[in-house]
Amino acid sequence: MLDSKIPQGPLKDKWTTFKFSARLVSPANKRKYKILVVGTGLAGASAAASLAELGYQVESFCFQDSPRRAHSIAAQGGINAAKNYPNDGDSIKRLFYDTIKGGDFRSREANVYRLAEVSNCIIDQCVAQGVPFAREYSGYLDNRSFGGAQVSRTFYARGQTGQQLLLGAYQALMKEAAKGSVILHPRMEMLDLVIIDGVARGIVVRNLISGQIESYSGDAVVLATGGYGNVFYLSTNAKGSNATAIWRAHKKGAFFANPCFTQIHPTCICVHGDYQSKLTLMSESLRNDGRVWVPKNSGDKRPGHKIPENERDYFLERKYPAFGNLVPRDIASRSTKELCDAGRGVGSSGQAVYLDLTDAIKRLGIDTIKERYGNLFDMYEKIMNQNPYQTPMMIYPAVHYTMGGLWVDYNLMSNLSGLFVIGEANFSDHGANRLGASALMQGLADGYFVLPYTMGDYLAKNKPVDTNIKDHAEFKKCEADIKNYTHKLLSIKGKRTVDDFHRQLGQLLWDKCGMARSESGLNEALNKIPEIRQEFWKNVNVLGSGEEFNQALERAGRVADFLEFAELLVADALHRQESCGGHFRQEYQTPEGEALRRDDLFTYVAAWQFNGVGQNPTLHKEELKFEEVHLAQRSYK
Amino acid sequence: MSYQTFDFNSSITKKQIVALTGLVLIFFVVFHLAGNLFIYGGPAAFNGYVEKLDDLGVLKTIAEWGLFFVFGIHILTTAFLVLENIQARGISRYAVDNSKGPRSLATRLMPYSGSYLFLYVIWHLIDFSWADQQGPRSIIHGVSYGLYGVVVNAFKDPLHSMLYIIAMCFLGLHLAHGTQSFLQTFGFNDNRFTPCIKKFSRYFAVAMAAGYSSIPLYVLYVLKV
Amino acid sequence: MANKINLILKVWRQKNQESQGRFETYKALDIDTDMSFLEMLDVVNESLTKSGVDPIAFDHDCREGICGTCGAVINGQAHGPLKGTTLCQLHMRHFKDGQTLVIEPFRAKTFPIIKDLCVDRSAFDRIIQAGGFISVKTGQAPDAHAVPVPKDKVDWAMDAAACIGCGACVAACPNASAMLFVAAKASHLNVLPQGVPEKKSRTLNMVKQMDQEGFGNCSNEYECEAACPKEISVAHIARLNKDHRQAS
Repeated sequence: MLDSKIPQGPLKDKWTTFKFSARLVSPANKRKYKILVVGTGLAGASAAASLAELGYQVESFCFQDSPRRAHSIAAQGGINAAKNYPNDGDSIKRLFYDTIKGGDFRSREANVYRLAEVSNCIIDQCVAQGVPFAREYSGYLDNRSFGGAQVSRTFYARGQTGQQLLLGAYQALMKEAAKGSVILHPRMEMLDLVIIDGVARGIVVRNLISGQIESYSGDAVVLATGGYGNVFYLSTNAKGSNATAIWRAHKKGAFFANPCFTQIHPTCICVHGDYQSKLTLMSESLRNDGRVWVPKNSGDKRPGHKIPENERDYFLERKYPAFGNLVPRDIASRSTKELCDAGRGVGSSGQAVYLDLTDAIKRLGIDTIKERYGNLFDMYEKIMNQNPYQTPMMIYPAVHYTMGGLWVDYNLMSNLSGLFVIGEANFSDHGANRLGASALMQGLADGYFVLPYTMGDYLAKNKPVDTNIKDHAEFKKCEADIKNYTHKLLSIKGKRTVDDFHRQLGQLLWDKCGMARSESGLNEALNKIPEIRQEFWKNVNVLGSGEEFNQALERAGRVADFLEFAELLVADALHRQESCGGHFRQEYQTPEGEALRRDDLFTYVAAWQFNGVGQNPTLHKEELKFEEVHLAQRSYK
Repeated sequence: MSYQTFDFNSSITKKQIVALTGLVLIFFVVFHLAGNLFIYGGPAAFNGYVEKLDDLGVLKTIAEWGLFFVFGIHILTTAFLVLENIQARGISRYAVDNSKGPRSLATRLMPYSGSYLFLYVIWHLIDFSWADQQGPRSIIHGVSYGLYGVVVNAFKDPLHSMLYIIAMCFLGLHLAHGTQSFLQTFGFNDNRFTPCIKKFSRYFAVAMAAGYSSIPLYVLYVLKV
Repeated sequence: MANKINLILKVWRQKNQESQGRFETYKALDIDTDMSFLEMLDVVNESLTKSGVDPIAFDHDCREGICGTCGAVINGQAHGPLKGTTLCQLHMRHFKDGQTLVIEPFRAKTFPIIKDLCVDRSAFDRIIQAGGFISVKTGQAPDAHAVPVPKDKVDWAMDAAACIGCGACVAACPNASAMLFVAAKASHLNVLPQGVPEKKSRTLNMVKQMDQEGFGNCSNEYECEAACPKEISVAHIARLNKDHRQAS
C-alpha cells in the first residue's frame, strides 16, 4: 500500500497544518542546494523561478529552443479560480467539489482541496506579473463560465490564456536567469534519471545541437515534462511533446499511476488525410451556441447546408434532452465516435460530424457570433478552406490531455526519494477526467505555491549533496547506457521511418484504447504492441549520427519510449474493469449506455512498478478515501 | 536594476538624433525654397533677397555654421546606422527579393537619395553659394546680374538643370519617407493622425520637389534673356 | 476540395553553423493542397529518408501558430505569402502546381544557422533577461483587484503580448532589426500600472541588450509588421521610441 503522506486533521486545515509543520532550510543554507527542473511549461517555469527566488541553485532544462515555447502556450480557454468576483456563489469548497466530481471521484481529496485553496493566489500572482487578463470597462477582471460550470470562475486573456500565463512564468524565470540564480539549458533533452542509493541525484541529457551526452547532478530532480497524449500520434499536443522523461524515470523505479485516464476532446478540426501531423482544437465554448448533428441517412453526400432540417439527426439533443449539446467532453466524444463507426459520419473520411451555428447566427445575428467566435472561425477557415458562417463545421474528437502520470504523494514527490513530479506529468489532481480551464490552474499551483514548500521540507531533511557525486560510477554507467542506446537506434538502418511506426502505434491505440475500450480490443492491442516494437528495433531507419543536430534521432528515442509505454497504458485500461471519466469500458455501462463506475472495486489509484520491457508490471494501490464528498453517479440525461 | 540614462550608442538615441537634425533640415528646405522663389520676381527681387541675407552679417554666419553642424551630424549618425545595419544583415541576403510589406521606393532609396543629396549639396555650395557673384558667370549679354545671373546662366545649361532636377527628385523621395518617419521615431503613432501624416508627408515631398524643380524649368523654357 | 500539386523545392542545406550552406533542389510530388506547409515538408522528408538522404531540419512544435518555433523564408517572404500566418498554418492551396519554392532559413547575423532551416534565436531570451519582466516574487502579489486597470490599457498590452517571439520581424527587416519584438515586449509591460516602477530601466536595458546582440536599427520600413504572424502594429515601436526618449 502506498503512503500518500496526507497531513492529519480536517480537510480544510491540511495544507495550513503542513505548511506549519514543514521543516525549513535557513536562508544561508538554501544556496547550498541545487535543484534540477526538467521542462519549462507552466509548472516547470513557475517552479524554477519560485525556487530560485527562495535562494536555491536551480538549473532548468527544456528540449525547445527557448523556455517560452513549451506547449502550455497553446491553451486557449482560461484558468479557474475560486475568487467569486462575479458574486455568483463560488467558493473554495465549490471549486474543490466540482473538480472532484468532474474527475469522477478518482482523485485525492486533500490534493484537490489544496489546489482550490491556492487557486486565488495564482490569479493575484499572474496579475502582478502583468498577465493581461480580460477586464471590464470598470478596470476589474472579467470572468466567464467554462466547460459547463455553473459559476463564472474562469479568467481569460482572449483566446490565448495559456500563452499569457506561460509568458508570465517565463518572464519570472528570465528574471532569475538574469541574476544567475537559474542556469538555463535550452535544446537539451533528458534521457535518463540517475538514482544513487535510492535517491534521485541527477539526470543525463543530450545536447540537441552538438549531440553531446552530458550529466547534471543535484539535490533534487523535478520533472515537469507534460503528458503522454502523443502516444496516439495524432493529438492536440505539440509535435515535440513526449513521455521520454517520465517513462525513463518510471524505468528507474518511479511508479506510473492511472495511465489509462486520457482525455479526448470532442471539438477538434477533423482529420483530412493520412499525412495529417497533428490536430487542432476548437474551443469547447462553441458548443454553447452550436448544434451537433449528422445526416439521418448514412451516405448522404450533399454538403451540410444543403441537407434539409427534417433529414438531420441532432443526436446529442436526442439522446440527452436535458443537457443537449453541452454534455461533458467524454460523453460528447463517445456519441460522435459511435455514429461515425456506424457509418453515419460526414466528410471525405466519414470521420466527422457537423457542428452547426446556423441557428445561433439566425437568433443572435452574425455580428454577435463573429464577436464571440470570430478567431475560431478564422482558424477553421484557414485550415479547412470552408467558410463556417455558411457551411457547418466538421469536427471530430481528439486526444487532448492525459490525467495519468507519475505517482506522487501529497508533497508531489514520487516514490523515489528526491524525484518530484509536477503539472500534467504527475497523476494527481484531475482523477479520471479533467475539467476545462483546470490544467493551467494545476500547473501553476504546483509550481508557484506547492512545490516551493514541499521541496523545502524535503531538503531540510537532507544534507547538500557533494558536487563530486558526478564522478560516481552510476553517472558514468547511465551515460554509457544512453550512448549505447543511441548507437543502437542509429545502427539499425532499416526500411521504415520513425513516423511510420508512430502512426501505426497511434492508430492501434486510437482504435483499441481510445474513447471506448473493450476487453477483446485491449487484449488485441496488448498482443500487437510488442510486435510493432520488435519490428521497430529491427527495421527503423534513422539517418545521420548522434554527434550532430539530428531531429530524426530525437523522434526515434521518443517513439521507442511510446512503444514501451503503450503497453502499460493498455494493461492499465484492461485492469480497470469499470468505466469512469475518460476511461470507458464497453462491458461496464448502464442499460442506457452510460459509464458505470464500480466504486466498491476500483476506488483506488493504480500505480505501476516497472519490471522490464515486455514484463508484467506490478500493481500498487493507493486507496482513495472520501471524507468530505459522497460518491455519486454522474447523470446528464 | 541599474541603468545608464543617456547613451549615444543606443540605436534609438541615434535614430532620434537623425530625426531631430532631419527636422531642422526640413525647415531649412522650406525656407530655402521660399527664398529661391524670389527668382520669379526678376533680378532686382532675387538679388535684393540675397543682399538682405548678407546684411544679417554675423547672424548669417551663425546660421550657416549651425546648418553645417546639423547637416554633418545628420549624415555622420546616419552613416553609423547604415554601417550597423549592413553588419546586422550580414553577408547573407535572401535568394529571392520579395517584400511582403509596404516598403516603398522612397524608403528603399533612403541611403542612396541621402548620399546623392550630400554630394549634390557640396557641388551646390561651390556652384552657387561660394560663386563669384560679380564674376564672369554672372554676366548676361555683357551685364552682371549678380547671383541672379549666376543661377540663370547655370540653368540655361540643360545638363546642369538635369542634375539639379534629379537632386530635387531625390530630395522629394527623401522627404516623403523622412517627414512621416520623424514622428514615428519620436514616438507619435496614432490610428487617426498617422494616416493623415503619411499623406501629408507625400504631398509635402511632391510640393518641395516640384517647387525647387520649377526654377530650372522656368529658366530653361520660360525665361527669355 | 483537395487537389494534388507538384512543386519544385530549392531548399537551403547547411550541415552546421560552421559549414557552408547551399541550395539543393528536390521534387515534392502529389502534394495534397489541404496539407500545411510543414506537413508538405514532412512528406518530402519521409521520401528523402527512404532514399537515404538526410532529411531537411526545420524547427516546429505546436503546429497551431502559437509557440513561435517554426519559421522559414519562402520565396523571399518570412512565413510565406499569407499575412498574419505562421508557416505551420500556411496551407498548400496557396501555391500553384509546378511552382518553384525557394525555402531559406531566417537570416540575420544575430540568428546563426544551426542546421538547414533551424536558427538560434537565443538573443531574444537574453533581451528578455535584460528587463522584459516585472520583478515580483512569488507570494508578494496583492489581491488581483487591488489595482483596477483601464480596459484600453489592457487591450493595448494584450495586443503587444500576442507576440510569439518567432523572429519573423528580424528576418523580414532589411536591417535585421529586432525593434518590433523588443517594442512588443516592452510595450506590454510599460503600459500596465504593475510595470510602471521598472519602466525606465526596462526600456533602457532591453534596448541596450538589443544593440549589444548586434541587431540592426529600425528605419521605419514596416516590413516587420507585414511579416508578423500576429500582425503586431509598429505603433508599439513608436511607443518604445517615446518611452526611451523619456527615460534617457
